[in-house]
Amino acid sequence: MPDTDFIEQLRGRLVELGCPKAHVRRLVREVAEHREDLKQAAVLEGLSGADAESQANAQLGDPIALAEHLMVAVRRSSWLGRHFVVTFSLLPLLAFPVLWLLLMIIELSLGFALGFGWDYKKLHVAAINPVANHHINIALRSMDYAAITLVALLFCWLARRSAVSAKWMVTSCAICSFYALVTYGRVEPHSFTMGFITSTAGIPPIHQCIKATIPLLIAGVFYVFQRRAKHELRRNATA
Amino acid sequence: MKKTNPSFLNGVPELLVLRLLSGREMYGYQIVEAIRTQTREALSFGEGCIYPYLHYLEAEKQVSSRRRDVDGRSRNYYKLTARGRKRLDELTCEWNRVTTGVSLLMEGQHA
Repeated sequence: MPDTDFIEQLRGRLVELGCPKAHVRRLVREVAEHREDLKQAAVLEGLSGADAESQANAQLGDPIALAEHLMVAVRRSSWLGRHFVVTFSLLPLLAFPVLWLLLMIIELSLGFALGFGWDYKKLHVAAINPVANHHINIALRSMDYAAITLVALLFCWLARRSAVSAKWMVTSCAICSFYALVTYGRVEPHSFTMGFITSTAGIPPIHQCIKATIPLLIAGVFYVFQRRAKHELRRNATA
Repeated sequence: MKKTNPSFLNGVPELLVLRLLSGREMYGYQIVEAIRTQTREALSFGEGCIYPYLHYLEAEKQVSSRRRDVDGRSRNYYKLTARGRKRLDELTCEWNRVTTGVSLLMEGQHA
């Protein structure tokens, strides 16, 4: 098998398996160098160029199997990859409320500082005014959307980084989506409420439903980008 | 030659790699060859599979890497860090404790 075929097959399979780009680049470069070393060693043993190449290929084995083996090693090399069930199904359940609350507090503090200069009186006056109250609620909803987006992005990024399969990314985003459906923040005259919708009666408000689609959309975008990268690679390999 | 090593050798690759890198900077191929020759082919790393392992050790800050040109070839050389040296000391103590214990038991069986 010519050099380029071996390396391209290795690269292609690594991308197909969802290996992060930085890992693919580095692994492929190092395996290519390793293969070159094996070839040189075989030449020094007295083999011809073609025989040395065949021996190097035999020592490295099937590039597809090697890519799969490398991928297992990449997954096992990180804590997230070794404990992917905990990270992408249990961790979002526990971490989402904490992260969401933390992000909301940061965003609210920023909004309060920039919009009202830390002055509670100004906030109370604005909350009584129906138009200002409406604007505050829109800003609050935007902050809520941003918090949900950031948490979903974090789990998608972790899934990509630890090279786990797409289903785990979708699982964590589905959990985020569920939480997005039941968490809320609202400003009313003289009161600010934030928490979980506990009532099971009726359908959640439309904005809750829109919010719940954000993590699923993010998972979809990540998945599409991954598919496009694979197709691009296949096109380059066949070109 | 066996391509895989028995499961009771979990943790041994880390010890071997750190031990080899404690002597000098090495690249992947050199490490694989050194393990093969210095253990008289009793142990071997699958070709190519050393790299994710080295990346893991680098992420754990036990080794560091740099590109180096030697004889017109550019390669990633790995070397032990202070944390890696500490880990090597721990693993060496653990290994000596285990091998001494196993040796005592084996000698007892033969006695």
